[in-house]
Amino acid sequence: MDTIFNEFGVAMTRRNGYELAQTLNPELSDDMLRLVYKTANHASIKDLLKRHIRANTQHLPHVDLDEIQMWVDVFHCYWKTCGELLAIQDRSPKASWVKVYEAWKELFSALHRGYMSPKVELPAWTIPCLYIVGKYLRVFAMNADEERSNNPNQETTETNFQDDLDMEADKFVWLRDCGVQLNRMFTLCLNDRANLMESRKWGIYNVANLLFKTYFKVKSPDLCKNVLRAIIAGRGDMPPFEAIPKSQRVIFKYYQGVLEFLDENYPQAEEHLTEAWNLCHKDALRNKELILTYLIPCHLVTTAKLPSAKLLEPYPRLQQLFLPLCGAIKKGELHAFDLALQEGEDEFVKRRIYLTLERGRDIALRNLCRRVFLAGGFEPPKEENAQPLRRTRVPLDEFVAAIRLGSQEKLDSDEVECLLANQIYKGFMKGYISRPHNMVVLSKSGAFPPTGV
Amino acid sequence: MASSSAQSKPDSKATDNKAEQTQATQQKPAAADMDHDEFEDFKVEDWPEEETEAAQNGGETRHLWEESWDDDDTTEDFSAQLREELKKVNESKRR
Repeated sequence: MDTIFNEFGVAMTRRNGYELAQTLNPELSDDMLRLVYKTANHASIKDLLKRHIRANTQHLPHVDLDEIQMWVDVFHCYWKTCGELLAIQDRSPKASWVKVYEAWKELFSALHRGYMSPKVELPAWTIPCLYIVGKYLRVFAMNADEERSNNPNQETTETNFQDDLDMEADKFVWLRDCGVQLNRMFTLCLNDRANLMESRKWGIYNVANLLFKTYFKVKSPDLCKNVLRAIIAGRGDMPPFEAIPKSQRVIFKYYQGVLEFLDENYPQAEEHLTEAWNLCHKDALRNKELILTYLIPCHLVTTAKLPSAKLLEPYPRLQQLFLPLCGAIKKGELHAFDLALQEGEDEFVKRRIYLTLERGRDIALRNLCRRVFLAGGFEPPKEENAQPLRRTRVPLDEFVAAIRLGSQEKLDSDEVECLLANQIYKGFMKGYISRPHNMVVLSKSGAFPPTGV
Repeated sequence: MASSSAQSKPDSKATDNKAEQTQATQQKPAAADMDHDEFEDFKVEDWPEEETEAAQNGGETRHLWEESWDDDDTTEDFSAQLREELKKVNESKRR
């Protein structure tokens, strides 16, 4: 306990928010947890805390009685949380993550009062405390949900009459509540009217990121849009984005990108994801992998380009995910493409990239048509030394044969014509279909626009 | 205790390394099986420009991507296959 309050005093003196937040870190070793909790009992804890906090802040004249009382409340909740955590470590029959969550939520309320109360007006440099509170609020809520799904019988009496409720929605009771709390935290930061340098607005990105994670986890990503809207509406009166620590910027840009991706706004998605990629710490492999999971399908749609071997090299999981598709696209093997898509379907759907990847089939088809064109070779030269010209009038039958070969399906020529018309319409192929001659007449200059032929 | 943060948290009040370790091993992996697209906390809050991904390749991203067609592949094989296929098509028509 002494250590905690020594550190508390030092952090208060230095006005160092991150150090201060560390004194509220609930992730302690078993011994520490026991030590903290056993220093006092329910009757004595408040007096003890008051003595400690007073002793370590008495040299700070601006810390008045109201603020001391607020910190006593906060650390009282901290102590209760430690007790509940200890019960879990000791596998006590009364232990429950719900109790941990509730105790921690109370801590947040005490802190919230500290910011809102005109008597205390906790200064903005302390907002890292909110970060740590928000972080563990989520962790504890997820554990409480997990515990709930592991012991479905415990609450039957309570939930019996709600049987018709969606079971899926039921899985995240505590995390949803956590979303409400985090939203309160977000508002607390957003609505601070203090001058920008001393404003809690510096906290909005961190809290927004916690909200994004939470809303994605409870499968309501659309709720993130309210958060984004609030930030965009307040623009001009916000800390400049470049001044926010990179870790927060990367996470924010990642979720912003994924949200655009889910709305199929690929150019915007690519912009945000690329920014996240560029800012990301070079050694944060897992996060880089996550960014690429969306950036690769995005890039495929916006530029028809594939990831290079060098890019995928450090990520066996991404190789497994994308390489079969990439190979099929390159070779124009429609059948292999369909198989690869089918093979990865579960993963693709889970990551919400299936529909985007499906668009790769058009590119595979483009490459197949391109191969038909290349296989056609050159026209016999009309005069000597003339530049050889590719054969641009290709019998429809050749495409029919190639597409049947590639897709291993018995398509009739009408269907193939339709596929080709689509390619022309989408700009993958330049030319027209001459029905009277059963010919596809391709452009003499750049029949397959960006591919050099 | 909870969370995936055991490995990602830079410093803790428990400076005792051994205590940290026992804690890490005893952690209940309750939240370990996170959503597939859940971002991990970074080990540090901020880092210098030269440690960003962009700085690794001198801001050059072009080599990360490649064209989606493959000219190295033996077009000859394909032409032969295609001719074979066309022959079949024509034959079946004649029949």
